[in-house]
Amino acid sequence: MPCKTTATTIRRRQRISCAVAIILPSCLSSSARAEPLRLRADAVAETRSPTGLVVMQGEDAARPWVDVEGLVWAGARPNATGDVLVLAMRLKEPHGYGEARFGRFVLATGAIRPVQLDGAELIGRAPWGSTVETFGGAPVIPRFGPRAYDWLVGTRVSQSIGSRATAGVSYVQRREYGEVANEEIGADVASAPAPWLDVAARGAYDLTSPGIADALVSVATRFAAWRLELFASHRSPSRLLPATSLFSVFGDFPSQSIGSTAKWRAAPRLDLLLSGAGQSVGGNLGGNAWARATLRLDDRADGVLGLEFRRVDVSGAQWSGVRAISAQALGGGLRYSTEVEIVVLDHPEGRSPAWPWGLMALSWRSSSRWEVAGALEASSTPEHRYETDALLRVSRTFDGATAARPARTQSQGSQ
Amino acid sequence: MRWRLTVVMAMTVLLAACASVLGLRGSSPSHPFEHRAHVVRGIGCIECHAGVASAGAGTPLHFPSNADCRRCHTKPHDERPCSTCHGESYVRTGVELAREHLRFEHSKHMGAAHGDCVRCHVEATEVRPQAILPPMASCFGCHEHRDQWTLRDCNGCHVDLANEGTLPSDHVVHDGDFVREHGVRAASTRDLCASCHSERSCAACHGVGTVPALPSRLAFDDVRLRGLHRAGFRSRHADESRADPGVCTTCHSEQSCIDCHNASHVGPTATSRSPHPPGWITAGAGGGEHGLQARIDPMSCAGCHGGAGEQLCVGCHRVGGPGGSPHGHGFASTKNKFHDVPCRACHGVGQ
Repeated sequence: MPCKTTATTIRRRQRISCAVAIILPSCLSSSARAEPLRLRADAVAETRSPTGLVVMQGEDAARPWVDVEGLVWAGARPNATGDVLVLAMRLKEPHGYGEARFGRFVLATGAIRPVQLDGAELIGRAPWGSTVETFGGAPVIPRFGPRAYDWLVGTRVSQSIGSRATAGVSYVQRREYGEVANEEIGADVASAPAPWLDVAARGAYDLTSPGIADALVSVATRFAAWRLELFASHRSPSRLLPATSLFSVFGDFPSQSIGSTAKWRAAPRLDLLLSGAGQSVGGNLGGNAWARATLRLDDRADGVLGLEFRRVDVSGAQWSGVRAISAQALGGGLRYSTEVEIVVLDHPEGRSPAWPWGLMALSWRSSSRWEVAGALEASSTPEHRYETDALLRVSRTFDGATAARPARTQSQGSQ
Repeated sequence: MRWRLTVVMAMTVLLAACASVLGLRGSSPSHPFEHRAHVVRGIGCIECHAGVASAGAGTPLHFPSNADCRRCHTKPHDERPCSTCHGESYVRTGVELAREHLRFEHSKHMGAAHGDCVRCHVEATEVRPQAILPPMASCFGCHEHRDQWTLRDCNGCHVDLANEGTLPSDHVVHDGDFVREHGVRAASTRDLCASCHSERSCAACHGVGTVPALPSRLAFDDVRLRGLHRAGFRSRHADESRADPGVCTTCHSEQSCIDCHNASHVGPTATSRSPHPPGWITAGAGGGEHGLQARIDPMSCAGCHGGAGEQLCVGCHRVGGPGGSPHGHGFASTKNKFHDVPCRACHGVGQ
C-alpha cells in the first residue's frame, strides 16, 4: 500500500527514511497541536550585496473543503523589491471527485515540466481511478513585470490500477508574445508491482521541433539494508529552450546518461550512498560519480557528520569535489553546524585552480517559537580571490498553540 | 610489552566508541522487552501498563515503573532500573513520537478490541518484535477512512502530517538521490506527494522567478538540506551546466541567467574581456569551436547572448551571411520560417 507508516518504532523509521525531503525552513517546525491557521515570519540579512528580506508565509484550512496558502516577501537586494511566491486557494469536493486550484502556484503534473503559473487548475476524479486535469494561465513574470501575451494551457488524463500503477498522457502549449514557445505531448507511468520494486518513467515529445524533448526512467529495488536504483535520461537541450529563442534552432545534440545509485544502511546510524553514471553529451562520452557517507550522532539525528566526494569528467567539465558537514545540538536550544566544500579543476583555464567554500552557523530555538540563526561564510570564487559574508535570520512562528514546541523530529537522514 | 597492551586497550576503546556512535547495539545491555514471555504466562497487559485502558489523549505514557516490575520480580538481579536493559530506547522514543504526532486515545479502542491489546499490537507476541506500535495498515483494518484517503485528508489522525517527519514506508522517492529522482517519481503521483507537501515545498525551488531565496540559503544553518544549488554552487554553476546540458533549462529561462549575470556585472559589456578561448570563432567551414558548444549546450550561450544579444548570431548566420546555416543534424521545425519567431530573424524578408 503506497501509504504513510505512522507510529512505528524508530528502527522502522530508520529503515524507511534515508535520504531526502526538501522542505522549506517554515516546514521544519512542528507543533504540539495542529492549528488550521499557521503563520511564520522570517527576517534574513546578508552582508554580501547587501540583502535584507522579510518573508511571511501562512496557511489556513479552517474548512475541510477549502485551504489557502501564501508566501510573500519584501526586501532590498540591492533595490527595494518584493514578490509573491505562492498565493493559492484550493477547493475540494467533499468526496474527492473534484478539486480546483486558483492563484499563483507551481504546476507540475505528468510529463509537464514544472512551471510557476498565475491561473487555475481543475481536477476531476472518477471512482474507477480515472483522473482528468485541465489547467491554464499566465506563466509568472518576476517582480510584477509587464505581461507579453504569454499564456499556457494543457491537460492530463490518467488512469490508476489500484494502488499498483498509474499511467497518464498530457498535452501542453505555451505561448510567448503570442508565438508558440512550447508545444509538447507527454506520457508518464509509475508502478509498484511488488513492495520491493518501484518503476517510474516520463517522457515529453516536442511538436514544434519534432523529437523527444526529455525522457527519464527510474527503476528502484530494495532488500534489507540496501536500495538500488537504475536510471536513464535523455535530454535535447535545444528542445527544452522556448521555441521563440534563436538558440533553439541548433538541431538535435542530446545529452544522455545511464547509471545507478546504491544506498546501504551500513549501521543503524550510518548511511552510505554511491552513484555513478555514464554520459553522452553531443556524442562525447564521459561520466560522473559521487560517494556520500552520513553518520547520525544520535537517534534523532540532532547531530550529524557527513562526507561526500564527487568526480565529474564530461564534455569539457572535469573537476573533483569534496564536501563535509557537521552539526551538533549543544543544549538549551543551541545548535552549531559547519559545512565545507572544495572543488578542484583539472583545467582551470585562467581561473583559480581550486574553489574552497565554507560556512559556520550557530542557531538558537526558543520554546516560545522564536528562532535566531547566524553564520559566517567564506569562499574563493572564479571572480574573487576571497569573499566573506555574514548571515542572520530571525524567525517567529504563530499558530495559536500554547504548548511549548517539541524538538524537531524530522531527523533520520532528512535533507 | 606494555606499549602493546596500551595499543590494544586503546583500540578496544576506540572500536567500542565507534560502535556506539554507529548505533550498533551488540555491546548494549538493552534488548527487546520480553513481552512474549509475559503473554504466555497469562499476564494481562494492564497489569503492567496500568491505566492504559482508560487513557485519553493527554494522559502520561504508560511505561511500567520499577515498582511495577518488582511487584512480581521481588528479587531483582540488578539494582539498576529495569528499563536499562529490558526494552529498547528506540521503542520508547517511538511511543513518545506517536503521542506527539497522532490523535489517539486507548480508551476509545478498548471496547472495540474487547480488551485484546494484541489485536493491534501483534508483534508484542514475537520473540524479537521489530515494532510494538501497530502499523497504519492495522488501523485501516477497522477504520476504512475511504473518504479521507481519497481527499488526502489525514488530519483526523495525524496532528500535522506535513511537519511530522515520518516518511512513507514504501514506494518512495526519499531514498537515494532525491534531487535527481523526485521529478520522475512525482510525475504520476503528484497527489500522493501533496498529502504531505504544501505548495510552498515545490515553489521553494521551482518558483524560480519569485523565490526570495532557495531553501538551502534561507535555512543556511541546516546542513542536512540538499539541492542542486548547495554550498559553493555559484562558483560551480557553469561547470555543472556543461556537465549536464539541458538540466538548467528544465527550470530556468534564459532571461533568468541574463538577469543574474547583469546584476553580478558578469557578461558582455563594451569593456568586458571575452571569456571564450582562442579559436572560439574562426573564418571558414565549421566556424571554430563555438558552433559545436552552442549545439551541445545552447543555454550556456543564451545565458549571456539571449534576447537582444541574439543579433550577434544573426549578423553572421542570417540567410546569405558569412556564417552559413546554424542548423545542425536533426533540426526540424513546424514554424513558418518567414513569419514566426525566431526564424524570421534570419529568413525574414529583408534580412
